[in-house]
Amino acid sequence: MTIERTTTIRNRLGLHARPAADFVKVAAKFQSEISLGKDGVWVNGKSIMGVMTLAAEFGSTVTVRAEGEDAKNAIEALAHCLSREYVEQ
Amino acid sequence: MGKPTLTIRDILERKGESLKLEVLTGDAGLDREVRVPEVSSPGLVFAGFTRRFAAERLHALGETEIAYLDSLTADDLKHALERFMSYELPCVFVTKGQEVPAGLVSLGKERNIAVLRSQLGTADFYRKISPYLIEMFAPATQIHASMADVYGVGLLFVGRSGIGKSECVLDLVERGHRLVADDVVHVTLRGAGVLIGRSHELAHRYMEIRGIGLVDVMALFGVRAVRQQKRIEVVVELQDWESAQQDVERTGLDGRTATILGVELPLVRIPLNPGKNLTVICEVVAMNHLLRYSGVDAARQFNERLIQRLVEQAELREYLAEDYE
Repeated sequence: MTIERTTTIRNRLGLHARPAADFVKVAAKFQSEISLGKDGVWVNGKSIMGVMTLAAEFGSTVTVRAEGEDAKNAIEALAHCLSREYVEQ
Repeated sequence: MGKPTLTIRDILERKGESLKLEVLTGDAGLDREVRVPEVSSPGLVFAGFTRRFAAERLHALGETEIAYLDSLTADDLKHALERFMSYELPCVFVTKGQEVPAGLVSLGKERNIAVLRSQLGTADFYRKISPYLIEMFAPATQIHASMADVYGVGLLFVGRSGIGKSECVLDLVERGHRLVADDVVHVTLRGAGVLIGRSHELAHRYMEIRGIGLVDVMALFGVRAVRQQKRIEVVVELQDWESAQQDVERTGLDGRTATILGVELPLVRIPLNPGKNLTVICEVVAMNHLLRYSGVDAARQFNERLIQRLVEQAELREYLAEDYE
């Protein structure tokens, strides 16, 4: 099963290290292959370097793709993750 | 905390030479216990003021005390000494090799309180005995762990029995680092927030490697391979791969800590899987610690650069219809 969902980054500072770490930690819990895409560039959603260097800023559109048995749950969890707003120190 | 008692005999055995001590009362009072790490000079007690006298301290009679006692009439001297020796004193030191007042030694034997003479000057005597007492009374604990000095950084390895703490340290020793303690680490709190780790005197230089048994690390790898004691600077927790997955540090932005004897130390959790080169990771842990202390925090610097880029991009987005790099 392959599922994709497109969402907008809501965090003011974009998908920097902290949100990216949360994203890959959530992604790592699932068996599915997770990819994150922005402007035609796809990275492995379980790779912190990949997710950070995607450089997804506030307001940009990203697509999560999950391929595997638990893809549905993975998409839900990851989309929620991307829509989070962080209180920056 | 499980501290063995400290007796006058212990002080004599351990510090007798460096404090230049000589026992004047034979075997009397040598098994008395020292309960506090303080030394004081009891001048006021001789003068008759006993209200705030801390008898449980070690007492050192310096030149002032001896000169005062010498100035007394025989009767007053007898009273002053009897009053002083009526307390349960751990022992009495006379410094600077001075002549001991008449009657003190016989009172000591009678009351079972050791009288010792040091050839050191009073200030020097205090300077040498205090660190020893402070060390003996410092909060201490034992931890099931192994410890190595890696590039001068004290790494304390913790984790369940059999996870490979000893093997990790052995590999580090093989690569030129130094064993501090294997399996049992004695930790002492020194000063404010400094933890010193060391092995048991007997176990020092030995370690147990499963499948081989005890090995003598110093004989195998030379004197550079062992170290007596080391400040503990980073706690490295070795974890099973499966149990660790939920909570693995990915950026290093949020420093985790472990608390030992009330002191917070940086904690690094390393999940283990077959084929993982743990030794190299440990070297990086040590070097990263050094770097951080010299002002280089890789995770923070990377993230600052990333955020700057993200903010610039977001600003650009406000002006442009389409996004581009």
